[in-house]
Amino acid sequence: MLTGAKTFKVRQMEPDMKERMLSQSGDSARSRDLVGLRCLPGECVLQRVLMVRKKLTSREGRGWLSGTLFCTHFRVAFVPQDCPNPPDNADPVLLGDHDVALASIEKVVVVGPNRTKLVTPSSSLKFTPEELLLYCRDMRVVCVLFDRLTPDSQVLQMTYTIAKSYQPLKPGSVLSFQNAALGSVEMKQLLSNRSRDSHMNWFESVQDWEQELERCGAVGWRVSTVNERFEMATSLPRFVVVPQRVLDTELKKSFAHFSEGRIPRWSWRHPRGADLLRMSSFQNNIYHEKDDIRNLELILFGGHSSLCVVVELGEELPSPLDIQLAHSRLRALCLGDVSSSVSVPDDKWLSTLESTHWLHCTRLCLRKASEVCCLLRTGHLTVALQEAEDRDMGCLVSSLVQLMCDPHSRTQLGFQGLVQKEWVTGGHRFCSRLNYHRDSDKDEAPVFLLFLDCVWQLWAQFPSRFQFTEDFLLALHDSVHLPLFSTFLSNSQRERLKRTQHLGQLYTRVEGWRDLTLESRDGCDPGCDPPLPPVWDWDLQYSQERQAGFTQPVASPAPVQPLLNGNLNTCTALAQNTLRITDTIPGSVFLLSRGSFTCPPHLPPWRSGHGSAVYRKSHRRAPSSENVPGLERLLKAWAQAEFPHSLTTHLGSQGLLDPYEPLLPLLMGPCMGLWRQCYLRGAIHAQAFSHPLAPPQPHPVERLAQEVQHLWTRLAQVSKNPSSPESPTCTDERRVHGNLNQNVNNSTFLFPASTNHQTHKTTPHTACTNQQSSNSLPLQGAPASCPPVRGNDSHKSTFLFRTASPSETRSKERPRAPQTKSKPPGPHTSS
Amino acid sequence: MEKSGSIDSLGSKRSSRQPSVDSLSSSSTSRSDRSAQVKPSSMSSESTSTDMSSELRVKPKATVKYIHRESDKQEPQLLPNETVQDVAKDVTYFCPFIGAIRGTVIVTNYRLFFKCMDREPVFVLDLPLGVMSRVEKIGNASTRGDVSYGIICKDMRNLRFAHKQMDDTLRKSIFEVLMKFAFPVSNGLQIFALQYGQVFPENGWKVYDVFAEYKRQGIPNESWRITKVNDHYEVCDTYPSTLAVPVNMPDEELRRVAAFRAKGRIPVLSWIHPESQATITRCSQPMVGVNGKRSKEDEKYLQSIMDANAQSHKLFIFDARPSVNAAANKMKGGGYESEDAYQNAELVFLDIHNIHVMRESLRKLKDVVYPNIEDSHWLSNLESTHWLEHIKLIMAGALRIADKVESGKTSVVVHCSDGWDRTGQLTSLAMLMLDGYYRTIRGFEVLLEKEWLSFGHRFQMRIGHGDKNHTDADRSPVFIQFIDCVWQLTRQFPAAFEFNEYFLVTILDHLYSCLFGTFLCNSEQQRMKEEIPKRTVSLWSYINSQLDDFTNPLYVNYCNHVLFPVVSLRHLELWVGYYIRWNPRMRPQEPVHQRYKELLAKRAELQRRVEELHREVTNRSVSSSSEQPGSPTRSITPVQTFV
Repeated sequence: MLTGAKTFKVRQMEPDMKERMLSQSGDSARSRDLVGLRCLPGECVLQRVLMVRKKLTSREGRGWLSGTLFCTHFRVAFVPQDCPNPPDNADPVLLGDHDVALASIEKVVVVGPNRTKLVTPSSSLKFTPEELLLYCRDMRVVCVLFDRLTPDSQVLQMTYTIAKSYQPLKPGSVLSFQNAALGSVEMKQLLSNRSRDSHMNWFESVQDWEQELERCGAVGWRVSTVNERFEMATSLPRFVVVPQRVLDTELKKSFAHFSEGRIPRWSWRHPRGADLLRMSSFQNNIYHEKDDIRNLELILFGGHSSLCVVVELGEELPSPLDIQLAHSRLRALCLGDVSSSVSVPDDKWLSTLESTHWLHCTRLCLRKASEVCCLLRTGHLTVALQEAEDRDMGCLVSSLVQLMCDPHSRTQLGFQGLVQKEWVTGGHRFCSRLNYHRDSDKDEAPVFLLFLDCVWQLWAQFPSRFQFTEDFLLALHDSVHLPLFSTFLSNSQRERLKRTQHLGQLYTRVEGWRDLTLESRDGCDPGCDPPLPPVWDWDLQYSQERQAGFTQPVASPAPVQPLLNGNLNTCTALAQNTLRITDTIPGSVFLLSRGSFTCPPHLPPWRSGHGSAVYRKSHRRAPSSENVPGLERLLKAWAQAEFPHSLTTHLGSQGLLDPYEPLLPLLMGPCMGLWRQCYLRGAIHAQAFSHPLAPPQPHPVERLAQEVQHLWTRLAQVSKNPSSPESPTCTDERRVHGNLNQNVNNSTFLFPASTNHQTHKTTPHTACTNQQSSNSLPLQGAPASCPPVRGNDSHKSTFLFRTASPSETRSKERPRAPQTKSKPPGPHTSS
Repeated sequence: MEKSGSIDSLGSKRSSRQPSVDSLSSSSTSRSDRSAQVKPSSMSSESTSTDMSSELRVKPKATVKYIHRESDKQEPQLLPNETVQDVAKDVTYFCPFIGAIRGTVIVTNYRLFFKCMDREPVFVLDLPLGVMSRVEKIGNASTRGDVSYGIICKDMRNLRFAHKQMDDTLRKSIFEVLMKFAFPVSNGLQIFALQYGQVFPENGWKVYDVFAEYKRQGIPNESWRITKVNDHYEVCDTYPSTLAVPVNMPDEELRRVAAFRAKGRIPVLSWIHPESQATITRCSQPMVGVNGKRSKEDEKYLQSIMDANAQSHKLFIFDARPSVNAAANKMKGGGYESEDAYQNAELVFLDIHNIHVMRESLRKLKDVVYPNIEDSHWLSNLESTHWLEHIKLIMAGALRIADKVESGKTSVVVHCSDGWDRTGQLTSLAMLMLDGYYRTIRGFEVLLEKEWLSFGHRFQMRIGHGDKNHTDADRSPVFIQFIDCVWQLTRQFPAAFEFNEYFLVTILDHLYSCLFGTFLCNSEQQRMKEEIPKRTVSLWSYINSQLDDFTNPLYVNYCNHVLFPVVSLRHLELWVGYYIRWNPRMRPQEPVHQRYKELLAKRAELQRRVEELHREVTNRSVSSSSEQPGSPTRSITPVQTFV
């Protein structure tokens, strides 16, 4: 090893970088580096240092891991010494478990014998670093120790290379990074051949929306295509859900009444029949014609004529600026002052954490969402979330509400669909808010990261009600900081589509080598843009092992299969509590603001003044405030007493939870936690002593779950094939799966496939392509052991049990071997 | 544990009450307040299992009264030998969370019981008198004729009651009765533990056998011997009778060492590393004084502790105190080892503050969490109590000790001033980190019996059982702090401990309840003199008779793993489940442990079914020889869990 390190000749790379890239991608794109780095197609190693030690986080088992450090033009990679080589034919994974993309590095710091220095692209070191610290935007800190025997020049070269290659803060660098990662011919081909996960709802077609309407049992709504070409509102999705009674021609007139044309549109229906709407603020300086008013009222009230509550999201929730400030303070606190390595002393930790106001922000969001949940569960009304632009807090609150109320959105696929619905197609300005291009700081605000924190808070309080895990949230959190995904690189669906369509035309005629030889990487030629994958293409980012950890091995108690017709009202005890707010005068509009209900005269604006004649005629009595106390009591009950508690646990003792009872989080100071696994991952100061622990073992619950799964399989095998145990054909296997699901539906332990709707709907054709595509992924495991059988079944089983990691697959394979070889039974089965 | 042992125990003295049919009614431990307030069967595994007496197997002999659930909801379920002392109707309880409630108060010789029938669910407050630190009349009788009483509890809550002025001025108010029984020691009465006559299937007093424990550690060996020099508590009256000391220190020299150590608490073995033979020894401060006195025997003693460990030629002396305090102790004749006198020894101060600082810190914490929590300044308020900081210092100290022993293979000597407060915290925490045995339920009981009870942590003084002198400066939450540290460890290593959070809470509850004899008295000597093991029931009898409730379903026996926790304040948390458990809005949302338990049960059931089916299949397909579908592919016992 050591001699290897010495004989390895470091070549200067800067001038001939492009040449080398060419040569590399030309002759052996998939060649493995000598010491085991599996390069992406077209990726080239700029620098390499042997015998370094990387510090492991507590999650990874702490201690140090020795291996080799690489710097390519896309990432800083670390390959552990005895890391088993992945099979050559596997699809490339962008980042290994120990890797950091150059674009996510924020600062490079070196620690010398007695000093610490921040390294910039232009700095030169007067000492030899012993330790290299990479501070990442996703709040990881990679700490690497160099070996003393490594030549100084090599260490310095590595440091300089990283310092020069990590994303400098200038516009356009994002593009060159994308090219480094995805720009090669092979990658482009790979990306264009990838099919989307058809199990999740992308909310990109009329069918997708109709499917969602059907899933929610929302009658009285339809999908309108008036905005298909983004002519009505550029930031809205192509398809909006509006009341059935409103015709498209009438609908078109209403866009002018809302800022940016973001009219009230349907997001979700609570099983008790309440609808959740989102809209931007009213345009006040517009003349309301009578016909307009009728339609506006119709749109606002949806299918319900009785009551509409407008929830104002502006004043009580943190503004984007607040969020940005809080987040930057939190970063500074958790990572410490990077350059000086000074961190907040332990005894000031708590108050400093408080003064970041980050936890306060999460609390405000969760509180607002809880209020809305309480409103929704009272029955037939529409709740319209209103925000000035409806592109930040509207997304956040709306998706939090659904997370709290809808078990489907607490599955991985359901959650991905939710983000698609409320954020991606909903028009959250990801690109500006995340400020990838570093071009305008004033818009930067990590609203989506705040959302992820809120989700984590919910997860931490109700871990067993979620099918996805903290690992999944972390993975998503980290991916946000990687400017590679179409999901996050546009501000609206329109931009996103424009880009892909543009590319789609160009792609066919762009020659593979062209972009590599292009002189101006930040140039304006869009031809060199690689096709960007959606973030949900996890295979591209994470190994199967990591992905297996995204979902709980055993998830929440099975709720009764959704009875989503809007009439769910199983809980009688609550029915008494439920205030009779539906008896209000038809057409009342209340404003919920600061915990109280009012009906200001200008809400909605067309009701004030002369234009409201129509309205007056149909509802002679003005909305009286006598209904208001009822609503207020409802919220007060939630806010003050043990209401949430009795709500959530009332039925819990009997083991049968109403699955649509909202998960109302506790919001008192001691209940709001810090997402340590995320923000304190890099906390180097945390540990006084580091001791290697034993190799990380799976969590006991995981092992338990695997065992239960194993027993199920065996049980199924035993009970199904008693007569013909020696013919384990593929059909048998399938029966095993079916049986498994049957059993599972009876048990209260394992998560049922709540995406039934979806899978039922998949046509044979898509199911077929799905099978093909998943079979083509080599890491999926032996096809026989876990075949994607008939959509529904296979889908369920992946829900129940994590998809097989290689080792697991092997163990699953084994039971069949003895059958044919007729081995004697093991000690366990002998009676 | 069977739950129906009570039906035949109808030997009730009072005919007025109906015998029990259903013994699974209300809870009777101090935690019942919690479970009853929410609803009868709360979701957490903890509160459903609080029912204590119903789960006990009661011998017919015992005079137990059970109260029928339906017929008489007014009364608590009384324990053996518990008698009602007074009943008062129309008493108002001012609950800080739900407001004033009117109901009935019953005072027995063990508990205060308040019940309000008008509410749904029925409101019950049931607390052992032992948790009361102070009962006082508040203000004067108002014009409306109400008399109001405040009860300050040791377990982080305060209660307030009021009742109408008595017409009959001669009759004692119920709270005057309460005061009498709440502080039996001050009133010349017996502590209830001495009357409680419950019989459990297991005798908890047998859990700790000093010889067995030393034998488990491999003592005696070539370097360490067991001495009987303190058999009659003559050398040190706060030490146990059996001690382990270096072989080359004859008993005579031990006596001379004792003269040099405060209160005669000589360095003795607490724990020995099974491989490296590095040891943890504990003692009190040396009596150095202002003149820098030396003791040749003491120096030789420490040298021989070092010599007993062949792996290292160094000895670490951990002084738990801040160096300033240690120096100040010289004025009182104490002090610390000078590195000149003790060759090859390195002295480290761990900066842990004294009992008074800790008491004050917990008092501040109580102010912050009870009854109301200020959301907007929660973290800074918490910080200002310094409670977590103290926890951190203790854990950091224990971590350094464990690190020296495990990684440095060096023996350590731990002391503070007297060696019964901070020393116990440090040694027992370090032992918990180093030795997986202590992380089992029985092992933890042994650890408490050994490091805390036998080595003379002064429970009576620190807690003040039955003593009305609530301002006593000797009271301090030293033991609570230790349990808090253990909880922090369980948070960081959720699968490494056989016991669960409820186990820790139960220990703390019965630290005050005076139901069991375990935490009575100040030392082994006193306990022997009072014949506590004969006259009282051990807490371990109760716990070991229903281990199910206290078992962590996630436990994996990492026997040989050493736990090195992260002790940064960034990774410590306030133990909400203990300190803020009275706040109804703080109840945990998820019965996760319950579900894990169910999962384990499910596994067991499945295993059984698979085996049954297997048998069936083998029977059916005998003809096809040894054809076995799905023979075991891996062992079914990777998860070391007991349900």
